[in-house]
Amino acid sequence: MKRENMTCDSVRGELSLMLYGELTFDEEERVESHLDSCADCRAALVRERALHAALDSAAIDPQPSLLWECRQDLGVRLAEEPVRSEAPRLNWWDRFVDGITLKPSGGLLRPLGATALVALGFGLAHLVPAMSSGGGFGNGVGAMSLADAGAARVRDVKPAAEGRVQIVLDETRQRTVSGRVDDQPIRALLLGAAKDASDPGLRAELVDILISRSQFADVRDALVYEVQHDPNAGVRMKAMEGLKPLVGQPEVRVALEQVLFADANPGLRTQAIDLLTGGANAAIDRNVDREIVGTLQELIERGEQQGYVRERCRSVLKAVNASLETY
Amino acid sequence: MALKSGVAMEEGALIRAAQAGDHAAFEQLVRAYDQSVLRLAMNLLRSPEDAHDVYQDAFLRVYRNLHAFRFDCSFHTWLYRIVTNLCLDHLRKRKVRKEEPTVLATADGPLDRMDAVPEERVDGDPQRYLFSGQLRTRIREVLGDLTPRERMVFELRHYQGLRLRRIGEVLGTTEEAAKNCLFRATQKMRAALGDFYQS
Repeated sequence: MKRENMTCDSVRGELSLMLYGELTFDEEERVESHLDSCADCRAALVRERALHAALDSAAIDPQPSLLWECRQDLGVRLAEEPVRSEAPRLNWWDRFVDGITLKPSGGLLRPLGATALVALGFGLAHLVPAMSSGGGFGNGVGAMSLADAGAARVRDVKPAAEGRVQIVLDETRQRTVSGRVDDQPIRALLLGAAKDASDPGLRAELVDILISRSQFADVRDALVYEVQHDPNAGVRMKAMEGLKPLVGQPEVRVALEQVLFADANPGLRTQAIDLLTGGANAAIDRNVDREIVGTLQELIERGEQQGYVRERCRSVLKAVNASLETY
Repeated sequence: MALKSGVAMEEGALIRAAQAGDHAAFEQLVRAYDQSVLRLAMNLLRSPEDAHDVYQDAFLRVYRNLHAFRFDCSFHTWLYRIVTNLCLDHLRKRKVRKEEPTVLATADGPLDRMDAVPEERVDGDPQRYLFSGQLRTRIREVLGDLTPRERMVFELRHYQGLRLRRIGEVLGTTEEAAKNCLFRATQKMRAALGDFYQS
């Protein structure tokens, strides 16, 4: 491959784009080749990473209550919109806040139904790679066989003529490493994958392994992240189970309260109530934190639409002799 | 995504169902994207009130115009076009009337609207806390000094993780133009924040 020498100035101009993963394979190769032989530019890369990390710290995650308020207001405004089609108008507003479709009489079944769907999702997620590798991509993957391509990282994808796609791969060689979860490098690999892996089944397995080490601060933070951000309800549920022994910690309580206000899955919201109040059925802690009592009262006051969650709030408040609303 | 039938539905089918007037399908579309829409608006506008307004206007526009969506691009791109246009309007208006201060004068003294926004914790080290607070303040100032387009491209790449090609599609420009814009934005940030992030 022909390689042009890069100057320090041109390399430094590319460092940020390299960190964003926006250089082509060849461009990145040229930058890395320069970095191998230039200590000043390596130092500049360290500074660039520090800048990116500093910028990360300024990111804002909107408060769950703001999301809730936006959804409420949108529901009201949409209800005022003229109906656009002949389709029967469903009870839009109830469903918007509710998120799950069983009737109130089936309230107990709702979390079970959600769990069943999640389990189905996991099963399908595991099947997908098998289907892809056995399927008919056939010719057109260049000189690379599909089996080889499976070990590569997709750098970019572009639509091509005749319904085809052009995939740019970074080729990597598979490597097997083994070690104990207590070993920091192993744990770092697991934590990174739990956050980034696209396969929800893999993420669930990773969380499953990590929850046995929730005493480590980095594992706890990863579980909190999963509870708040993982798109798959099953993974969020598993991560929440892992946080059970840490429910007294402020970060964990904040995460659980966020679930309670904003998670779309009523099974998770119910589980959050149980964790925050000390138990599922008769085992509700009589000395439940006053803040949690306030949170549950607020949920009812805001018109929590999901029957099972509402009933759970009511039963907890009743068990601790609290009123159903704030005054 | 669970729908009224309890069956998972892929996005294309969801959009067609919503186009046909299925409100549950529309609800699922909103829920699939609304957190990232709100996060985008919040990070760009740094104001809960403005983010709330953009959220409402964006999804109302989607609702009113969904029948005209013809799958020429992904729904995500279409939605983000709407959201970024609304945010750019807000940012440009602010530029005209000068950047809105985050600190408001109230009867009870100065109030920083961003205090309502959760911040990263810096466990128990007052000096680090002070420093990280100053850094965040400085970053907000520098973000405010970027042009609306630079701000938008930077936000979409750094905080939303969109690839430059997708950013070009969303903003109706080329990948190269988006790349240049990002380059300028990071250069300005580097110059303005050098003292902070290197220490």
